Amino acid sequence: MSKLGARLRSWQAAAQRRLPRRRSRALAGALIVIGIVLPFLFSPSSGFINATIIAVAYAVMSLGLNVVVGFAGLLDLGYVAFYALGAYALGWLGSGFFFKAKIHALVSPVASTLPGVHLNFILILIGAALICAAAGTVIGLPTLRLRGDYIAIVTLAFGEIIGTLAVNGQSIHVGGGMTLTAGNLGISAVDAPYFPGIGSFNLLNLRPWYWLIFAILLVVLFVNLRLRDSRLGRAWIALREDEVAAVSMGIPLVKTKLFAYAIGAAFGGMSGAFFGAYYTTVNAGQFQFGFSIFILAMVIIGGIGSIWGAVVGGLALGYINNYLIPDVLNDLPSHLGFNFQLTQVEFGIFGFLLVIMMVLRPQGLIPERRRQLELTAEIAPVDAQLAEAPGTPGGAA
Amino acid sequence: METTTLSRSPLAATARPLAAVRRVAGRWGLIAALAALPVYYGISDLTNGYQAGLVAGHAVIHHDLSKLGFNFAEGLSNGAIWALIAIGYTLVYGIIELINFAHGDVFMIGSFSAVGLWAVLGLGLTTSTLGLAGGLLVTLIIAMIVTGSLNVLIERVAYRPLRSAPKLAALITAVGFSFILQNVGLLWRGGSPQSVPDLIHAQQTVFTIGGVPILRGYILAFAVMIPLVFLLTWFISRTRAGRAMRATAQDPEAARLMGIDVNKTISLTFLLGGMLAGAAGLVYALYETNVWYFQGFKAGLIAFTAAVMGGIGNVRGAVLGGLIIGVIQSLADSRMGPQWTEAVVFGYLIAIMVLRPRGLLGEETREAG
Amino acid sequence: MSPAGTPPPPAALRAEHVTKTFGGLVAVSDISFDVPQHSIVSLIGPNGAGKTTLFNMLTGLYRPSEGKILLGGRDITRARPDLITRYGVARTFQNIRLFGAMTAVENVMVGHHSQMRAGLFGSIFRPPRVRREEVKTRERARELLAYVGLREPSFDRLASQLPYGDQRRVEIARALASEPTVLLLDEPTAGMNPRESQALAEFMRALRDDLKLTILLIEHDMKVVMGVSERVTVLDYGKKIAEGEPAEVRADPGVIEAYLGKQAS
Repeated sequence: MSKLGARLRSWQAAAQRRLPRRRSRALAGALIVIGIVLPFLFSPSSGFINATIIAVAYAVMSLGLNVVVGFAGLLDLGYVAFYALGAYALGWLGSGFFFKAKIHALVSPVASTLPGVHLNFILILIGAALICAAAGTVIGLPTLRLRGDYIAIVTLAFGEIIGTLAVNGQSIHVGGGMTLTAGNLGISAVDAPYFPGIGSFNLLNLRPWYWLIFAILLVVLFVNLRLRDSRLGRAWIALREDEVAAVSMGIPLVKTKLFAYAIGAAFGGMSGAFFGAYYTTVNAGQFQFGFSIFILAMVIIGGIGSIWGAVVGGLALGYINNYLIPDVLNDLPSHLGFNFQLTQVEFGIFGFLLVIMMVLRPQGLIPERRRQLELTAEIAPVDAQLAEAPGTPGGAA
Repeated sequence: METTTLSRSPLAATARPLAAVRRVAGRWGLIAALAALPVYYGISDLTNGYQAGLVAGHAVIHHDLSKLGFNFAEGLSNGAIWALIAIGYTLVYGIIELINFAHGDVFMIGSFSAVGLWAVLGLGLTTSTLGLAGGLLVTLIIAMIVTGSLNVLIERVAYRPLRSAPKLAALITAVGFSFILQNVGLLWRGGSPQSVPDLIHAQQTVFTIGGVPILRGYILAFAVMIPLVFLLTWFISRTRAGRAMRATAQDPEAARLMGIDVNKTISLTFLLGGMLAGAAGLVYALYETNVWYFQGFKAGLIAFTAAVMGGIGNVRGAVLGGLIIGVIQSLADSRMGPQWTEAVVFGYLIAIMVLRPRGLLGEETREAG
Repeated sequence: MSPAGTPPPPAALRAEHVTKTFGGLVAVSDISFDVPQHSIVSLIGPNGAGKTTLFNMLTGLYRPSEGKILLGGRDITRARPDLITRYGVARTFQNIRLFGAMTAVENVMVGHHSQMRAGLFGSIFRPPRVRREEVKTRERARELLAYVGLREPSFDRLASQLPYGDQRRVEIARALASEPTVLLLDEPTAGMNPRESQALAEFMRALRDDLKLTILLIEHDMKVVMGVSERVTVLDYGKKIAEGEPAEVRADPGVIEAYLGKQAS
């Protein structure tokens, strides 16, 4: 009992030393409640809920890329690869694509009679995470000794290669007359998520989809928050700040960086699998370089290295891209006398946002508390003679 | 924060399993890897032969090196275009250690501007040869001015304010600008490739060497690239401004202390790089006879691969790299199928970055201060 | 002193014929020296003599072109830097290299990385063992910061916002956090006034005596060197030109010329 008391006291002392948390905890709780209740405020097939679902899925991706770019400081420009692999995980493990196989696990009564591999969606999520973690490790390996801008190019190249494989996959045979992907035609009849007791999801009722991706977001958020304030999270930030010093302090370079790639990729893969199910198709045309930049923009604009920033960035850009621009503001230019629609300048708008952010507010909307001071304030190591108060270095021994 | 300027992190020296591979590989390994494709296909052509056409339903098989020759002719000519763009990448990286992500799109704007100028100047398929020559020369100059200025503008607006910021910031801004330019292209000429008048009849055979047709387009590419590269290398080695560029590339602080206006020198570098990209844009339009808003992204990656392959920071390297990549592309296109070409080129890029980041002609860039 | 008849313990750190070339430049040439257990040894020499290069080899950042490096008998010549830290070598840097985006406490906690065991899943799920480890690490970090003389309000300030002297202290605390047996200090008194330098010298003696550390330092402040070292090794142009007790070395004509010769020209 006294041990518990001592532990509680030390925790309390530690808590008091940290920034006041109660307010942010209450806020987080309120947001979760709002998040759960939100669908009830709209019709089951509401366009707003559709946009929200996509925005939340983007937020998951953004959190994933934030681990790689934000925490570990590795500029990954090929993140679309994990969107693709996650979606293909669904295409491979949740459809009749591999028609020679007959594997079923916890799927709907209809699906369990169909040929192919049909796994429960949760299993597919796990599968997508594992596949992407492995791929992330493979992609990360060649970059370990490279400098920042070279990492960008190599990851970009990998992203393009995976895109090429996706397109050409329909001519890559994996045996039994089956191919790796269906190229641009796409793997279409993918299973909708099914849970015993709830049934199969369908696109007329968006609420279950929403709650599913919201749950995924909460899980990913939880993992992120835990990792950030952990031995591994500190190691990532140390590597990002000063690789030489970090390694000199005993942080293993290879393992730590690969973990970043793998975890970041896993999150992207989970979101990718969800997108595959939600869009009901997995076709190679979905995986373009522009998507990598899109997710990067979310991380940057939200705030590099900041978990909440990544969420806000993901939601904001998701809404802008899938709701604001196509549904709300699309006709704005024609009202102003221009003969193009807003969707046609999407690229340019995102590019512009990136430039503006970097020049005006590089720490993003919600700065990682540390980054804010690093990117904007000057570092002012004051001359020891001037700043030193009287005192001896080793005095307190 | 570590500001090493080695092309790899300072910890690269401790890489063990790869270090041994690198030592063995070295420059000759890279050359061998590059030569592997042409050598392989050359031997295959000679022994197994290749299909050169159909006569009355029967495949005509040749056992010579003409097809390989064609790969070289086409490849080197495409490569000349990439070389011009690659020089821009390499010059900028050499002087401020930044990958100018928007450079490929500057090239695209060059193409677009050139095509626009043809319309303005009234250049068409019926224009007289003299008029065409004059018109194209004017187009070249104006396009180069446009792209040169655009590159300088981008540096001024996007890179200079961020020179003391983490490299990440400048790179992201570059990406942002790339997107903006692509969107400009998209609005200008739409989302699909647009064909443009074949002003010089680029596909016409001028003469044949050993069974390999030499097309007008090939000659054009070299006729533009060679003088420009000579002018550039003369400029860099003989003029004061060029020496300033070299000095700044080697050690900006020392250059500043010597009285060199580093800002102006950097702007000059961007100007020259941009101008070459504009020239490449014109050649591309005349040669490919179509333009596309997305051509810059693709060309940019290819040209960057070329710059890295030749040795980033090294102009001769950029030219060499461009030519080599062009040949590899042609080989991949005609032997493996164009759907695999990109993957092949990027595969080479990754291999070079990992095994020999300094490329063929590069040295380790300046030591940490 | 060891009892008669038993062999002396292996040197805490030993370099054998270590050479380092960069391309055509020979930075360090055929250097051999010992750092005995629980001693304080200074490495001195004019600028550019190769001292930091040597440090970098001792900590695994550079690999010697030739020669061997031994830590208490274990060959660490080709070992990775993070492994060398695990084996018990810690260092500070000439130009302070703290992790600016982290607080002083977090910097020191990073120093403890090699002594912690939480892995990926431990970090995510935080079983009791991991929780205890985190609490312990944080407390240890605070202890170390107090030990090096940082005032408590500064503990949770960002490292980049601390004054220079405090940053030096945090760096030492961070190095101590890895529970080293050998501590390498690269110009620890740079920027300090004489009073502070003396305090640091006493501190080093305390580290040697209380924590049983072996200390190798690069220093330019001769008062500190003469006052605190048991042995001094002198480098010039990458070669060892003298070694011995401080008084001997100070009187060595070669050493005098190396220093004065530089100043004169």
